[in-house]
Amino acid sequence: MIRYIMRRLLGAIPTLFFISILIYGFVLLSPGGPTARFSMNPKITPQALAAFEHRWGLDQPVPVQYCRWLGVCNPDGQGLGVFLSSSGMPNFLPGIVGGGSNGVLHLDLGVSSSSGVPVSDVIAERFPRTLVLAGVSLVVWLTLALIFGVVSAVKRYSKIDSAITVFNYVAYSFPTFWLGLLLIVIFAATLGWLPAGGMWDVRNTPIFGSGAYWSYLGQHPVSALGDLGRHLILPVATLVAVSVAGDSRFVRASMIDAMRQDFVRTARAKGVPERGVVFRHALRNALLPVVTNIGLELPFLFTGAIATETVFSWPGMGAQFITSIGQYDYPVVMGISVITAVLVVGANLLADIVYAIVDPRISYG
Amino acid sequence: MKQKTELTDLEVGPAVSGPPTDPDILLEVRGLRTYFHVMDGTVKAVDGVDFSLRRGETLGIVGESGCGKSVTALTIMQLLDIPPGEIAGGEVWFDGRDLLELRPEELRHVRGADISMIFQEPMTSLNPVFTIGNQISEAIILHQHVGKKEAMVRAIESLKAVGISAPERRVKQYPHEMSGGIRQRVMIAMALSCNPKLIIADEPTTALDVTIQAQILELIKKIQADSGAALLLITHDLAVVAETVQNVAVMYAGRVVESGPVEDVLLRPQHPYTLGLLGSIPALHKRGRELDVIKGVVPNPFRMPPGCKFEPRCPYAWDKCKQVEPDLVAVPGRAALSRCFLHLPDESTRRAEFDRVSVATVATGMS
Repeated sequence: MIRYIMRRLLGAIPTLFFISILIYGFVLLSPGGPTARFSMNPKITPQALAAFEHRWGLDQPVPVQYCRWLGVCNPDGQGLGVFLSSSGMPNFLPGIVGGGSNGVLHLDLGVSSSSGVPVSDVIAERFPRTLVLAGVSLVVWLTLALIFGVVSAVKRYSKIDSAITVFNYVAYSFPTFWLGLLLIVIFAATLGWLPAGGMWDVRNTPIFGSGAYWSYLGQHPVSALGDLGRHLILPVATLVAVSVAGDSRFVRASMIDAMRQDFVRTARAKGVPERGVVFRHALRNALLPVVTNIGLELPFLFTGAIATETVFSWPGMGAQFITSIGQYDYPVVMGISVITAVLVVGANLLADIVYAIVDPRISYG
Repeated sequence: MKQKTELTDLEVGPAVSGPPTDPDILLEVRGLRTYFHVMDGTVKAVDGVDFSLRRGETLGIVGESGCGKSVTALTIMQLLDIPPGEIAGGEVWFDGRDLLELRPEELRHVRGADISMIFQEPMTSLNPVFTIGNQISEAIILHQHVGKKEAMVRAIESLKAVGISAPERRVKQYPHEMSGGIRQRVMIAMALSCNPKLIIADEPTTALDVTIQAQILELIKKIQADSGAALLLITHDLAVVAETVQNVAVMYAGRVVESGPVEDVLLRPQHPYTLGLLGSIPALHKRGRELDVIKGVVPNPFRMPPGCKFEPRCPYAWDKCKQVEPDLVAVPGRAALSRCFLHLPDESTRRAEFDRVSVATVATGMS
């Protein structure tokens, strides 16, 4: 099992390397460029522009730029020395064994070109907020999809199955951003039950993630969590609606298929109570394809968060991504893309590992 | 019940009702009807099946594909999907209780404990995600109220009883790590584990390699003899019936057409269908000749012949067979029952011709 996980981890390295080239390539191909934000500014002279480009290394050949960004090349090196760190070891090695300190490989994602803050600091501030949204969404998503799917399958063609089916088709056909706006109009603007956006109530709650927030959470856990919960309801509903709808259909189909299997009849013939037949024998088998499917959909929690966070002004990574694109803040855009890519690959890896655990027929060899 | 009128029309409704008077009778099935309501109409898969089984006795149900033999077994256990299935009538008396009248919870305590079942497909009948020890002990925990450890010990014992070597190691394995023959042994061990009064084996050897079939059959016979449980063996294989059971019921188109002691039915068949089945067994001395078959096909379930269901394929049929369906009646001078007009006292001429063919067929078949 450990060997299997190690092998999968090693296999993820080329994938991530390829993704890094794609991210770099797409950013390179996108119109504008890091200097585009100065183009309307009459005070910026061509000399100043050239100096800016030199300072950021933008006058280097593209492979060198990529190589430096990745952390394989040392920006201070000369000739073939670019591959060596200042201590003479290959630059891509970790800092403690004499490698360099620059580039993605050394967790140096550069400095935000709009705020001057290190990108890793920007992400460190934003990521936990996205994680709260994504984590709660994941729990709600899986719980609802399983409940809806199993109930639909067990009570097939009943009224409750029809009701769930109607919900599924309606929810599945909503575009995420539009559903968000609709929910804001109904529950925030018209009914006034829930906040229209944000992650905390600015009037009485400190900024999420700050030291003041944690001490507030410690002193008033009920009001802090209640406030967070109220802010979570609409974004979570928006984010998971499509996934719940799609996956409860998937669970239903998978469950119906499992309930038809011979071993389910064997379980009944043994006198297993219906509860055990459904949850022990059928569900365990029905979950096998579902696990794979969920692994493929997990990244949606982060990509979907881009639209959802923007609609609900949720101050997370997705909203930052949109803001940074508007500011031509290339280091931040690339940094968030890299982190998201790692999360996606990690999620798939996790799904593979979970699958291997739940299905004894998968060999680890 | 809307089938009521139909039932009297057909004149095959059970005359008696209530528990069997003889306490030695473990299972008595009377007038059992199982219908499937499908898109094109209603398929009467089982349409008036009667048979009984004494304690410790072995009964084979034989017939070709689609005759309703498996559905009969599944109806007794009530393992059908309802809908589309419907148990449209009849009684299933088991050990003093009508299984069709039991509440689901009561039925659950009969399943696996008093009646256990061995299925046709050992490859798919075991749950792929649980170890076999886990699956065998599940029934033991449910019905014998013992702890996990004790159940596992009993599971190992029952694996030993079905001739699986190194059972302590096997209980930790998953079904996919075993061959079809071993899996069927596991199914038998599972069926055996709660000391049932009745074991229903539904085509237990059909999906197996021929070399394994004989072993599994021997095993079923052995465990039946050792445990003293009654055995209901469902098969399409006359050879299996001949080797394994004491009594046999031949089914055709959802009905029992002939039943009796196995040597009576197989050596002195009383129904033209049984005779046809025996005649169609390939034999070495018939080599090079075309195989004898029963002419025609099984009737379309949506357009059953009004009279005898075998009439369109029957070489002995006459006008009466087209109009009225015969009852399952005792054959004069024999221990068998047969659903055929040939056995009526005033049909002796026709009967003589049937007997001549019958004797000839059995004689060539045996040589």
